[in-house]
Amino acid sequence: MLGPGVAWYLGVSAFLFSIGALGVLLRRNPLIVLLSLEIMLNGANLALIAFSRHAGNGAGQIFALAVMAVAASEVCVGLGLVVAIHRRRLELDVDRLSELRG
Amino acid sequence: MITTVLIWLPIAAAIVVWVLPLSRYATGSLAVLVSLAEVGVWIEQAFRFDFSKHGLQFSQRGGWINDLHVSYHVGVYGFSLWLVGLTVIAMAACTSYGFWVGRDRPRAYFGLMLFLTGATVGVFVAQDLLLFYAFFEAMLIPLYILVGVWGGPGRLGATIKFFIYTAAGSLLMLAALIAYGLHAGTFDLVDGAPSFSRWIFLGFMLAFVIKAPLFPFHGWLPETYREAPPEVTAVLSGVIAKAGTYGMLRIAITKLPEPTSYYRTLILALAAAALVYGSLLAFRAPDLRGVVAYSSLAQSGLIALGLFSGTNLGYDGAVLQMVAHGLVSTALFLLAGTVERRTTTDQFALLGGMAKGRPALATLLMTCGIISLAVPGSANFAGEFLILAGVFQRAWWWAAIGAGAIVLAAMYMLRAISAVLHQARGSVVTEEALDLRLGELSLIVPLVAGLLFLSAWPAGVSHHSFAGDQPVQSVKGQFR
Amino acid sequence: MTAGAWLCLFAPLAGTLVITLGGARIPRDGAGWISTTSVFVAFAGAAWSFFGLRAHGSENGVVSTAWTWLQGGNFKVGLSVFVDPLSTMMMLIVSGVGGLIVLYSIGYMDGDDEERRYFAYMSLFVFSMLLLVEGGNLLLLLAGWGMVGLSSYLLIGFWHERESAVAAAKKAFVMNAFGDATMALALFILIVHTGSLSFASAFSNAPLLSSTTVNFVALGLLGGAVAKSAQFPLHTWLPDAMEGPTPVSALIHAATMVTAGVYLIARTHAIFEAARTIELIAAGTGALTLLMAGLIALVQTDIKRVIAYSTMSQIGYMFLGAGVGAYANGMFHLMTHAFFKALLFMAAGIVIHALSGEQDIRKMRGMAQALPWTRWAFLAGSLALVGLPPFSGFFSKDSIIAAALHDHWYGVILAVAALAGAFLTGLYTFRLYFIVFGRSDGPAPHTHGHGEGPRTMLLPVGILSVLAVIGGWIQFSPFWHPLTNWLEPAARTLGVAEPTNAQEAIASIAAVVLGLAGIGVAWALYGARRRSVPRLQLLQRALEHKFYFDELYDALFYKPAAAIANLSRRDVEEGFVLAAGPDIGETAFDAGRGVRRLQTGLLRTYVFFLGTGMAVLAIVFLLAK
Repeated sequence: MLGPGVAWYLGVSAFLFSIGALGVLLRRNPLIVLLSLEIMLNGANLALIAFSRHAGNGAGQIFALAVMAVAASEVCVGLGLVVAIHRRRLELDVDRLSELRG
Repeated sequence: MITTVLIWLPIAAAIVVWVLPLSRYATGSLAVLVSLAEVGVWIEQAFRFDFSKHGLQFSQRGGWINDLHVSYHVGVYGFSLWLVGLTVIAMAACTSYGFWVGRDRPRAYFGLMLFLTGATVGVFVAQDLLLFYAFFEAMLIPLYILVGVWGGPGRLGATIKFFIYTAAGSLLMLAALIAYGLHAGTFDLVDGAPSFSRWIFLGFMLAFVIKAPLFPFHGWLPETYREAPPEVTAVLSGVIAKAGTYGMLRIAITKLPEPTSYYRTLILALAAAALVYGSLLAFRAPDLRGVVAYSSLAQSGLIALGLFSGTNLGYDGAVLQMVAHGLVSTALFLLAGTVERRTTTDQFALLGGMAKGRPALATLLMTCGIISLAVPGSANFAGEFLILAGVFQRAWWWAAIGAGAIVLAAMYMLRAISAVLHQARGSVVTEEALDLRLGELSLIVPLVAGLLFLSAWPAGVSHHSFAGDQPVQSVKGQFR
Repeated sequence: MTAGAWLCLFAPLAGTLVITLGGARIPRDGAGWISTTSVFVAFAGAAWSFFGLRAHGSENGVVSTAWTWLQGGNFKVGLSVFVDPLSTMMMLIVSGVGGLIVLYSIGYMDGDDEERRYFAYMSLFVFSMLLLVEGGNLLLLLAGWGMVGLSSYLLIGFWHERESAVAAAKKAFVMNAFGDATMALALFILIVHTGSLSFASAFSNAPLLSSTTVNFVALGLLGGAVAKSAQFPLHTWLPDAMEGPTPVSALIHAATMVTAGVYLIARTHAIFEAARTIELIAAGTGALTLLMAGLIALVQTDIKRVIAYSTMSQIGYMFLGAGVGAYANGMFHLMTHAFFKALLFMAAGIVIHALSGEQDIRKMRGMAQALPWTRWAFLAGSLALVGLPPFSGFFSKDSIIAAALHDHWYGVILAVAALAGAFLTGLYTFRLYFIVFGRSDGPAPHTHGHGEGPRTMLLPVGILSVLAVIGGWIQFSPFWHPLTNWLEPAARTLGVAEPTNAQEAIASIAAVVLGLAGIGVAWALYGARRRSVPRLQLLQRALEHKFYFDELYDALFYKPAAAIANLSRRDVEEGFVLAAGPDIGETAFDAGRGVRRLQTGLLRTYVFFLGTGMAVLAIVFLLAK
């Protein structure tokens, strides 16, 4: 097998995933949260493909395609929500958007 | 057939009243007539009852939920016959009181009173546990509404408290009865075998101890008794409380004999505590309703003392006391209602001197008061004597406590009577507060006449409650 | 003869019912006549039973049962009457003296607004007392016992606008209720050990019971007797009971109800003899009471209170007699006492009536001129009370003292106490007589000028005066004792209580001498006013406060009961029980509020929980694998 071992790929994947997770938890702008969510998903995709290559199985790659499709649709919905919020002149700050409180 | 009629006649009348847009007068008359018809049916049943025969009489049995062995099984024994009689007589008096006084929303009110009558009779005659539970809950619903809608200023709090307490007890009872039914294979009380489970016993007893009530589960009593309309309080104290003690006898003691003897001392202690505690609080209550309410607590304790003494005298005395106290407490609360109507209050600080110029009120209140304190010669004395003699056979100190309660009863009841009737005229007692009118007399005098008859012949009830008058054996033999 | 007993019992009850149900339709004095007639019909019934019993000659008396009153398991109590020498004697006394007093009341209560209620209550009382003495078993006796307490409450508090009357009525009832409770306990013991409350069963089984058992039974019965008869230590209700109308005091608190305790001891003497210690305690209680009451009577200024303490003292004599075993003597004194004490109360009633309600003797000087007949009646009663021959008291009282003398060494002590009591009796009785009827310094008090009273009042007084004089002539032991013979089947005098002739003589002479001495001292102090009353400050104060018993009982019983009740109400009821329901509700609310804080509405919180939850789950699954 050429190239670095699967562990390296997993390391990068974990790195991407944690950057994305931190972004989701720590950033206030919903656009950036969505962006970070994308990064998380990409990290997961990388892990899937790395394992697929490692196992010699095509299932992981196909599942990564499915994940991309889901990511795309969820981004559409999310961006649509952000645009709607912006149109209402509300602040784009997740900490302020907490009216669905108990 | 008769038993089913006794249950469903008032319920059918209730539905008629709720559906048909009758006038106030027609509704009230219908309700009173149906109540009196109930009394008539019960008298017929009492005459045809055979007091020497063991086992259930006038029974009907029909299928209900056959998969679980739940049936519609009703019937009467000697003691349940007397309790049904108490129910129909007290409800007739209270419904008539409501008619006399005039309540808002008469169709709702009379429908509820009729429904309550039918459901309560059902409690006393049901011989299937799930049926018993259904009637038990059905008995409570009209009470919540009656207290919550027609009650005094603090009625909402009282209703909520009443609801929470009784619902908690009922849920535990439901759990206990399901456990019993599944274990015994049937929910029938006559066929079902006795159980040995202490948890089931505690589940049932908790519900009954809240209903009776006994110390310390009586938190709902003072407010509810004070806020409810007088005739509803009369029903609560005279009839519904007896449903609790009936349950103790019919279900807890009969079906769970081993836990009964295991917990006997504890329950006797609770009953004695209720007796003393209720008497002490009655002695300090500032209003007439409070005195009679705490007195009811004390009497429930006394009845429980008799039931759990496990002796012939105790059982007979308990049944007699249930009937005697039921009648006198109904009469007392109705009289308290008449006082309140005339003076807007029942607080002792504001009352006084009502005996002057009101001979009927004074005579009736005095008579009921002294019968209630169990003056020797009265039916209540006979019941109390039998109970204490029975419990003395268990251990002498219970009877000594009971004897002390006799003195306390004299103290609190005489204090109450004097505060209303005697001494200087109270600030709210005006010239317009007239003596009892014919309408009021016609409901209270029959109750008192019944009490006096019972005082002349207490053996009528005490000797005819259990077949052959050997209650200990009857209970052991599951009344078969 | 049992028909006579039933008639006797139910006639007064019929009287009560007629008056109660008739209400305002019956004229006021009509109620009085109905009541009087009912009691005299009862007397006729009693006489019928009496003569029937004499003719019948049955030794043990006859029980007649109407129906089963109460039944539980194997225990059975019938509504029955018992006709025997003792009960017929009591029936005659109660209905006879009672009838005279009710007749007197027609005049005394004339003009009162609530006359009908009064007569209804009086008939009720006579019925209750007859139930007590005629009842065929111990439970009916207890029923009558409680009902006379009830009638007493109703009659003491008759003028219920007066706070003092209402308080006195309550006090009387509660103290009597205590006695009822102890009697009930005694009956429970009998039920447990003998299974029955009939007289025959109880009395035949009494010697067979263990000593502790029968002692407790006797003690319980004694408790009831002491409460009902106002003996030490349950005596504080009797003086307060004078709040009731005077005929009530005459009937209930002199002639009949308070003597029920003596009747009880005589009736249940089989039980007391098996518990001899308790019986002697009864005698000792009687002696103590007779001294104590005699002393207190010396300082009382209310005419009725003097006579009330005198009653207490005389009942002490009866307890003394019954306690040592001389039941017939005790009952004899009960009878003569009924005559002269009722007479004294009724005569006092005439004085009070004439002075329009005045009861303070300091305001009553020199009534002899205004009320001559009353004065002679009062004198007759007083002489009978002191026990001078040939008045009735002499025959009955002295035989008690003699019986006590015979009974061991403690009997002698009791007899000495009784003799001291005789001196006190002379002193306080004639103190009263001389103050009220003696020569007065100033002008006579203003009377209402209607003479001494209507015939309905004077006739009974006259009859009782005669009886007070000759009533004792029925027995002069040891020469002639038909009464003791009559009572023998029911209550045979114990051997220890049969005095020798010498002891009789000693007792009689000593009692008469001491009685005359008492009269003499009274004459010196109050009659001729030769000497002034000695001043013994401490003793005077103690007597005026009736030995501080009221204060003691208030501190021992009433205050603690009220305190415990208040404590229960405040801390237990309001603090704990009533709050328990809302507390449960509060807890539910608090729990809900706590859980609600998880719903922050912030995205990051939810994501965080999501993430950590998933991580935890993943780890758990891996570990479980």
